[in-house]
This record gives sequence, C-alpha cells and structure tokens, in this order.
Amino acid sequence: MSEDNRTSQNQSPQSQVPHQFDMEALIGSILLAGVLLSVVLIVVGLIWYGIKTGNLALNFMIKGMNLYHFLVDDIDQFRSGNITPGLFIDLGIAALLLTPFVRVLVSVFYFMIAERNWKFVFFTGFVCSVLIYSLFFR
Amino acid sequence: MVAFQWLFLISIAAGLVGAMSGMGGGVVLIPALTLLGVDIKHAIAISMVAVIATSSGSASAYVRDRITNLKVGMFLEMFTIIGALVGATITLISGHQFLYIVFGVVLLGSSTTMFFERRRSGAKPAHQDKFTRWLQLEGSYYDQAENRTISYRAVRAYLGGPLMFGAGFIAGLLGIGAGALKVLIFDLAMGLPSKVATTTSNLIIGVTALAGSSVYLAAGLIDPGQASAVILGILIGAFSGTRVLVRLTNVAIRHFFRIILILLGLEMVLRGAGVL
Repeated sequence: MSEDNRTSQNQSPQSQVPHQFDMEALIGSILLAGVLLSVVLIVVGLIWYGIKTGNLALNFMIKGMNLYHFLVDDIDQFRSGNITPGLFIDLGIAALLLTPFVRVLVSVFYFMIAERNWKFVFFTGFVCSVLIYSLFFR
Repeated sequence: MVAFQWLFLISIAAGLVGAMSGMGGGVVLIPALTLLGVDIKHAIAISMVAVIATSSGSASAYVRDRITNLKVGMFLEMFTIIGALVGATITLISGHQFLYIVFGVVLLGSSTTMFFERRRSGAKPAHQDKFTRWLQLEGSYYDQAENRTISYRAVRAYLGGPLMFGAGFIAGLLGIGAGALKVLIFDLAMGLPSKVATTTSNLIIGVTALAGSSVYLAAGLIDPGQASAVILGILIGAFSGTRVLVRLTNVAIRHFFRIILILLGLEMVLRGAGVL
C-alpha cells in the first residue's frame, strides 16, 4: 500500500517511476518465477516417474477440458492423497499456462493502481477477459 | 507411441536451431515431431505450449533490461489473441492434408525471408499520427552497443493492430510463435527500432500462445507426457543456443539452416499432397 500512496501523490508523471520496483521488474519476475516453477514441477514428476517405473515412456492423455477443470481435477487428486508423478507434470503444465495469464492480470492492476492509466486498464482488461473466457469457461 | 528420449532430443535440437537462427523453435519442432510419427494436430498443440515456455523465459530477461515496450505489447496483444483463437479453431476443424500444405508453404516462405539482410532501421523523424500519440506508444532504451539512450516513437498503430491479428492467426493456426512476422510488422508498419521490435514481439508471443493453447487444451490435444519432454528439451536447447552464439553470421551455417527449412517444407507439402 505504501507503493500506491507514493505514486498517486506524486504529481509529475515523468519522475515518479521508482526503479527498484516498477512494472518491468514486476513482469520480469512473474515470467521468470512461472517458468522456473513449471520446470521444477515437471522435472520432479519425470524423475519420480523414472525411478518408480524404470523408464520414461509416459503416455497419458487428458480428456478435453479447460484450464479451470484441469486445475480442479489436479487439486482434487492432490487433496485425496493420490499424489502421482503425473500429477506433478500436470501441475507443471498448469503453472506454465498460468504464467502469461498472471502477467496480464497483474498488468491490469498495475495500470489501475500505480499509473491510473485507464486506457491501458481497458486494453489489458480486454485481454484478460478474453483469456478468462477461453481458459475457464470454454 | 513416440519414445520420451526421442521427443526430448529432437526438442533440444529444435530449441538450438531456433535460438541460433533467430527463427524460434516451433517452425523446426513441428515438422520434426511429425517425422517422429506424432500426429500433426498434436504436434501443433504441444508446440503451442512449448512456445509459452521459451517466450516467457527469454521475455523475463528482456523486460528487465527495459528494452521491451510494454505499452506497445499490451495494445497489440488485443489483436494477436483474437487472431490466435480464430487460427487454433480453424486448425481443429481442418483436415490433416491442409495443415501439412500450409505449414510446408510457411517453411518454404521463411527459408527465403530469413536471409534477407535486415535493413538498418534508420532514425526516422517520427511524425506520430494522432491515434498512436493518443495510445502513448513511444519510449526509450539504453543501447549497450552504441552506449547511448535511444528515444523513439511508434507510428501507424491503426495499421499495426489489424496486421497483428494476422500474425496471431498464423501463430494459433500452426502452433508457432510467428516472431519473424511480428518483427516485420513492428519494423515496416510501426517504425520501431529493431531491438524494441524483437523483444516486444517476444513478450506478445507468450500471451498469444496461451490463447492458442487454451483452444487445444479444451480439445484434448495436449498430452502432458509428450508436452513435458518437449518443454524441457526446447528450453534446454534455446538457452544453450542463446548462450553459445547470440546470432549466427557465418554464411555457410545460414545456408545449412536454409537447406534444412527447404527440405522440411518440401517434405510437408508433398505429404499434404499425398505424394509421400
């Protein structure tokens, strides 16, 4: 919240950008964290599968579903204690798919709170709405 | 069933070739996967997910270097995601032969265009049109090679938007990043400096690929087992490729890549036409 107060009180639009923590740093970190998380989950799943079965001939299809159902299935499986290597791989792919989505979602709020730039709140909001429709309601 | 290790190795190779030639991985990955016996629609779907990984990985570095123009990217994403949704939907209803032929033609096309020497983006005296100014599409970045800050203004956003719909359409249809096409639009239609064009195109590719992936996911075309091998392989290939050689200038090696593209393109066209 202190971030937010400082930028909104500052009247000069040019000099307000705090270089330690601005949109570039935020987005760069989200993208990096998402890809790393995804890779770690996938590698853990693959190594575990390899140890368990002695090979890596993974072959499991998912039936057609949107990301919401994909996540709900994974979370249900996790909560029921049925934790398998395949679950880690699924979660790794889900993390990868969520990475650009979270980046867009955070951008909407950044433009809204830190920059109060309504044009770009609208643009990023549009992208976000289309993605939410396609990922969660299709 | 294609063995894990083959998927993994071919994806490393595709990532390497993609990074070294600057074409991106998908254009090589998909023909290679189909040669291994993966169904073309599955290959397109898996590649689309892998594109999210490579683009997000490299975009994270470019964005923090402050070369990427976030506003330009976020304005144009509106067009590319719609294009990708339409393109991916068309792939779902298309026949396999049609996809082979379109892909083959795109490969043959990129084999000719990737070797045109990029003209130097001369500093255009930017007379910004009203619409682009209203969108605040301008910026500056620090150029390490030239050791100075370069300011620029984008132009013709009204042209860039619709053209980006087309680039998104190709990306979604074929499961590729279509980065070269996006860079071309930034360069020719919107007058962005080439570094800003490549890095901003990279940022847009991730979201565009996500839109395409959402269609393929809902259609059940993404096999997590195969996708995991391809994602890891292409990331390893792409990052070792960018570390070892930033960009190839050696003419002999570029000719070699060109021949690979032509052979893969011909193979796909012939397969689509039912000759192979």
